[in-house]
Amino acid sequence: MEKKSFLEGVKGGQKKYGESLAAIVNSILLSLAYFLGVGLTFIFAKLSKKHFLDLKLDRSRESYWEELNLDKERIENYYKQF
Amino acid sequence: MYILGISCYYHDASAALLKDGVIVAAAEEERFTRKKHDVSFPINSIDYCLKSQNININDIDYIGFYEKPFLKFERVLHQHLEGFPRSYRTFLSKLPSWFNEKLRVVKTIRKKLKYRKDVLFIQHHLAHAASAFLVSPFKEAAIVTVDGVGEWSTTTYGLGKENNIHLKREIKFPHSIGLLYSTITAYLGFSVNNSEYKVMGLAPYGDMNRKTNPYYQKLLSVIDIKSDGSYRFDMGYFTYHYINKMPSKKLCYLLGGPITQRGAEMTQRHKDIAAALQLVTEDILIKILNYVHKETNSENIALAGGVALNSVFNGKILSSTPFKKIWIQPNASDGGTSLGVASYIYNTILDKKRNYVMKDAYLGPSFSNEEIQKFLNQNKITYSVFKNDKELIDKTAKLIYDNNVVGWFQGRLEWGPRALGARSILANPTNPRAKEILNEKVKHREKFRPFAPVVCDDDALKYFDCDKPIPEPTDFMLMVYPIFAKWHKKIPSVTHVDGSGRLQTIRKPQNPLYYNLIKKFGKLSGIPILINTSFNIRGEPIVCTPQDAYKCMMGTGIDYLVIGKFLIKREDNPKDSWDSEKYAND
Repeated sequence: MEKKSFLEGVKGGQKKYGESLAAIVNSILLSLAYFLGVGLTFIFAKLSKKHFLDLKLDRSRESYWEELNLDKERIENYYKQF
Repeated sequence: MYILGISCYYHDASAALLKDGVIVAAAEEERFTRKKHDVSFPINSIDYCLKSQNININDIDYIGFYEKPFLKFERVLHQHLEGFPRSYRTFLSKLPSWFNEKLRVVKTIRKKLKYRKDVLFIQHHLAHAASAFLVSPFKEAAIVTVDGVGEWSTTTYGLGKENNIHLKREIKFPHSIGLLYSTITAYLGFSVNNSEYKVMGLAPYGDMNRKTNPYYQKLLSVIDIKSDGSYRFDMGYFTYHYINKMPSKKLCYLLGGPITQRGAEMTQRHKDIAAALQLVTEDILIKILNYVHKETNSENIALAGGVALNSVFNGKILSSTPFKKIWIQPNASDGGTSLGVASYIYNTILDKKRNYVMKDAYLGPSFSNEEIQKFLNQNKITYSVFKNDKELIDKTAKLIYDNNVVGWFQGRLEWGPRALGARSILANPTNPRAKEILNEKVKHREKFRPFAPVVCDDDALKYFDCDKPIPEPTDFMLMVYPIFAKWHKKIPSVTHVDGSGRLQTIRKPQNPLYYNLIKKFGKLSGIPILINTSFNIRGEPIVCTPQDAYKCMMGTGIDYLVIGKFLIKREDNPKDSWDSEKYAND
């Protein structure tokens, strides 16, 4: 019984260790992706004055509605995830 | 032909099954996993749907998913790019789930369900629109969808005609009424995507006068609302487009204080802010609906999206706009989109004639008397058996009339967030202490929140100042109406501070047992109305199985449980060590 609970403890510890290691590696990789990928794109976008979200209020506009025109499409288009 | 609709990974995961165009089963995952608003892949809901029809996954012809994951991911990436470097933490915490599950929907479906046929994807707001229009009684209707956000859209409108839906225009993220409501919900110390309805319940305690409410003009100042209802926010007041925390320092400054601590006492200031939010929301929505009516020239309106659960606003639609008829599906928020995508595939993509109108919300699992009795015997639970339905109704009505709190577990579980007489807790509304008793014994919920009345459709107009004829969404507890003043003191437990009630009307064919119980109670008390609140404690999903119901009763102060043809008295059974108060954390 003691041996079993000891082994279970070791197994649990290994799992926790693995998860912690994965979290650290993920954080490093994601940080690299963020600062190199997102950061550089952000800088180029700033230089070319591109915005990724339309945040501006324009009180002179008559309407903020934007055309969507979502209608029935060919069935092939519904297989796409975009 | 079987079509399975799935929604998951955001909030309220669910599955819905269509058989030849008729919805035969639908349920949310939270009811099975017992995790409120569970977002995980709805494997239990799917399993239930298949078992309910005695079929397996090979019998399914199509599976539909409720959104386009890559389009949504594009929006998420845009948020991180726009928010750089402030979006760093959110990027680290949220991105793994995209790579691990949200962008691998087809793979997950193939792996978890062993399904090899077609998987179709439609846009989030189209799934909302379909979930309302395609199961509505309308051949033609204007459609408005309003929620937090789908892929990019936050608000859309269009027209539904026969089998087809055309969504004409949209408001795009980050401008979103749903997210405005969630932001103020967070500001008031409540949980987002869960407690918005509490803010709606708090609003009538505040100053509902546009001229005197000090926060109304302040909130209006952060929004530019056009005469056609289209709107944009001054995003300096919000942070949800780059981090998880919702109100910005600027918004806190505008509203005169920091974000409220969770569980803090609600002061008049909080109540006025809630009132201002409700007023602003109604202003925008009324303008949108008036504009959409002009654009579509339809007399019918079908509403969907989380904001369509704002029953206070819903009750004002027909009197404040030119629309003559309204339809809202009982599961109007994201949970309902599984039903929407399945209906859209059958009716629109495959062009099959519409042959289903949703008449009730009883689409979930049910348990036979044999199954219930087996559970009771196995667990050595003391119970008695009703001889027939008449005895069940007579005895239960008397128990409620004698001010007992009764758990009511009958038939198929409800689809959507409201308990509608299948998994309900029932009490006597004529008892002035009923609200207190229910809160003390069972619900442990905030004092300001009212309880809802249920009334038979043929009695409703005597007590409630409803639209005439009574709109179908009232059957799903989606409309708040004024209670006539002369009844306020007679049914105090269900009369809100502003004299309104979030009533449920019940029509006999929907649930004869429930209907007859209310009528019988009316004979005893002189008022055919019951308090109907969901069979759960605060923070838990509505009960699903006999075991959930028994556990809920024994851990709370519910006096009796009427389950199938069996009656269980709490006092006759050993009290469970499970303490419901411990879990009442939300």
